[in-house]
Amino acid sequence: MRGLRLVLLLSLYTSLTSAVFGQSGVGVEIDDVTDNRVSAGGFTGQLELRVKLTGTGLDKATAARIVVKDARDDRGTVLADGKSDPPDFFPREYNSGTLNFTVSQPARAASTVRLKGTVELYAPARDPNAVVKISKALSKYDTPLSSPTLKTAKITLTPLSRQGYIDARKARKLDDKKIEEIRAEGKKRGVPDSEIETMIGLAKALEGLDEDPPEGAVILSGKKADFDRIYRIEILGNDGKPIDTPQRGTSSRGEDSIMTIIPKEPPPANAALQIFLITDKSKLSFPFDVKVTLP
Amino acid sequence: MKKLLALALLLCVAPPAPAATNATVTVKQVQDRRTKGSFSQLMISIEMPGIPSADVAASRVLVSQAVDDKGNNLVDSEAQEPELEQNARSMFGSDKKDSPVTVSVTLKNPDRKATNVKQISGEIELFMPSKDPNSVAEIPKFTSFSGKTLSHKALKANGVEIAPLNASQLAAEKKRLGDLKRKELKDAGYDDESINSVLASFLESLFQTDEGEVLVRLKDPDKHIQDVDYVDAAGEVKRISMRDEEGLTYFTTWGEKPQADWKLRVSMKTAKNIVRYPFSLTNVPLP
Repeated sequence: MRGLRLVLLLSLYTSLTSAVFGQSGVGVEIDDVTDNRVSAGGFTGQLELRVKLTGTGLDKATAARIVVKDARDDRGTVLADGKSDPPDFFPREYNSGTLNFTVSQPARAASTVRLKGTVELYAPARDPNAVVKISKALSKYDTPLSSPTLKTAKITLTPLSRQGYIDARKARKLDDKKIEEIRAEGKKRGVPDSEIETMIGLAKALEGLDEDPPEGAVILSGKKADFDRIYRIEILGNDGKPIDTPQRGTSSRGEDSIMTIIPKEPPPANAALQIFLITDKSKLSFPFDVKVTLP
Repeated sequence: MKKLLALALLLCVAPPAPAATNATVTVKQVQDRRTKGSFSQLMISIEMPGIPSADVAASRVLVSQAVDDKGNNLVDSEAQEPELEQNARSMFGSDKKDSPVTVSVTLKNPDRKATNVKQISGEIELFMPSKDPNSVAEIPKFTSFSGKTLSHKALKANGVEIAPLNASQLAAEKKRLGDLKRKELKDAGYDDESINSVLASFLESLFQTDEGEVLVRLKDPDKHIQDVDYVDAAGEVKRISMRDEEGLTYFTTWGEKPQADWKLRVSMKTAKNIVRYPFSLTNVPLP
């Protein structure tokens, strides 16, 4: 009898927690479609879509994204095949919760497009291991952050000193060898030569824009694959609240990435970092299959 | 010999007239932006080989006919006549020497089933200040002219008057407008209490300038003014946006206060510097 009570209590707890964290019937509703058709040299346009999310429990999600697995028009043109990297999660509080995404330009003669994929929600409250707080994270530079949760998640992040950043930037600089590697990788993936050269030119141009980060900037280096599993990193001030960070960005070269967070004011020396990890438990997927009439 | 001299003389004195034959143009880019939301339109960028972009300060395209291969009229009859748009490439000095000017034309979306624009024709209007010495008036040390009317031969030639107001002139203008308002309210039968209340609120909000804004009395009866800018000591152009209130004009530079060494530059359209080129394109492929 005691055993039965325990089972009943356990099942009640399980149903309560799924009600608290539960999202159900999540789907997409097309809000806007723009077929932005362009012909300018080698450039073409894109089909731009904006969707609203439908379903219950969406307010429990911090962020969401659309992962398109397959998109094709009624003429058979493949507009997305699910091979590209998924987009970043987008905060639910922006743009009234709508999500924007693009696929390739459909055929002019097409009249509809069918899109299949998943809506992914990020709900860190579902997993106690999704939010990691590291005290005095900026007290030691050029050494990986120490955290059992990060270690379990196999994520390595290193706060860089100014000199560490200069060295990392030097190591990433495009030299002839790296350019040849990019060309070879592009060819392997079937990218046309002209596009490869455009990309190399763009990378060189962006490299020229590299500036020394302002005083107080927090710079973290790590593997791109690790940063891909991070939703956001906050710098916590003395009051334990996130410091306003008007500028942030991540640049990747090959397998390595550098994240730069520029706070409004330099963070205190004992500032903590709060890292939101995208774990299996914190991520939910809901399939969708929609047909869109082209404008 | 006489004929040759007569021809040479004619070439010297005749004002530049629009070319009677179609200008040579090529299509640079086509954008068919199709949406149920805003800015659903067809935009065609047209390059004009032989006309350096650096010579063109602004342009517009006046379309007389545009039709897709399904027979749809692409001219928006309800749209207002386009205004001259600044040539951004020339404005930011990013043009290579002699690179040709590009103009753009905006039309209605063609039918989705259409494959090309069968025909598009009209006139390309270019604002080319170098064609008239009275195109531009530059007034050095503009701030020193507070309370005075600017004097420049190009302003005079175009019948343009610009007079920045000083504090006492502004106070006098406010008083004049206040007196007019008082009379208007009295004539309408309002009591003194209501008149005083309305007047106080009217005068409080009248001619309120933000940091860097200058109030001028501007007369341009024939609408010659195309742009008004400041030019700082280093030659950097600071764009001025203008708005009118009660007969005066605000010069606004988004918070930048005009400095003592800044010039005021007034660019004006004239019969000589506005040049129209007829053009025609056929079978423009749609993306």
